[in-house]
Amino acid sequence: MPEMIQSRRNWALWLGLLLALGALLCNAAFFVNPPGQRAIPWLSVLLAGVSLIFMVRGLQRAFGQPRVYGDKILSSILALVSLLLVGVAIFSFFQARAIPASAGAPKVGQRAPDFTLADTSGQSVSMAQLFAPAADDSQVVPPKAVLLIFYRGYW
Amino acid sequence: MAISVDPPEVSRDLCRKAGYTFTFLSDPNAEVIRRYDLLHVGGGTDGHDIARPAEFLVDSARVVRWINFTEDVRVRARGDEMLVAAKGLR
Repeated sequence: MPEMIQSRRNWALWLGLLLALGALLCNAAFFVNPPGQRAIPWLSVLLAGVSLIFMVRGLQRAFGQPRVYGDKILSSILALVSLLLVGVAIFSFFQARAIPASAGAPKVGQRAPDFTLADTSGQSVSMAQLFAPAADDSQVVPPKAVLLIFYRGYW
Repeated sequence: MAISVDPPEVSRDLCRKAGYTFTFLSDPNAEVIRRYDLLHVGGGTDGHDIARPAEFLVDSARVVRWINFTEDVRVRARGDEMLVAAKGLR
């Protein structure tokens, strides 16, 4: 009996893989620091979710209609790789949000706690000094405000 | 100005490489970080205690006028956002 069944590429699995890659690559987008970047974490979750949907669809086709959609082993490998990528993307999402609540941090309207710390040349700098005018340059206006940027460090 | 647990030498290196001219302060024992309740226990890559990211705009009376606490450490404050906050000060 002639083989009448046409073999088709399992595009759902490949799309699932592409989306999983997209979800993971969202992490790279942060380095560019674009406007609207607050949406990127949710974008990665969305891509991961859609990737899973296509993965399931693709596996259903591969195992449900193996003569049309071909190699079950290749399909399983594709799905597994996608699952791995999605796993890493989702893990990154939760890891990045595992931040302490910092309920005791000064709020708007409260006094910022004073401090004296060493700068890069080893000299002690206090908050008062940050606001003091430069000793030798009377033309320079002292700052109206100071931006304190606490960062993670260990770069 | 930037505060972290990095010792002065590390910050100096960073400043030099990145061309930063603003003040970098070191808080190696996380004393000030604790004072501001920003300690992230074991948050560093080696399990070190570090600061969680946070920005405070403080006026000359030492009053906090603007804060930025990110929910996701990958999302960092943008310069334009900070400028808007700074310009809002009278």
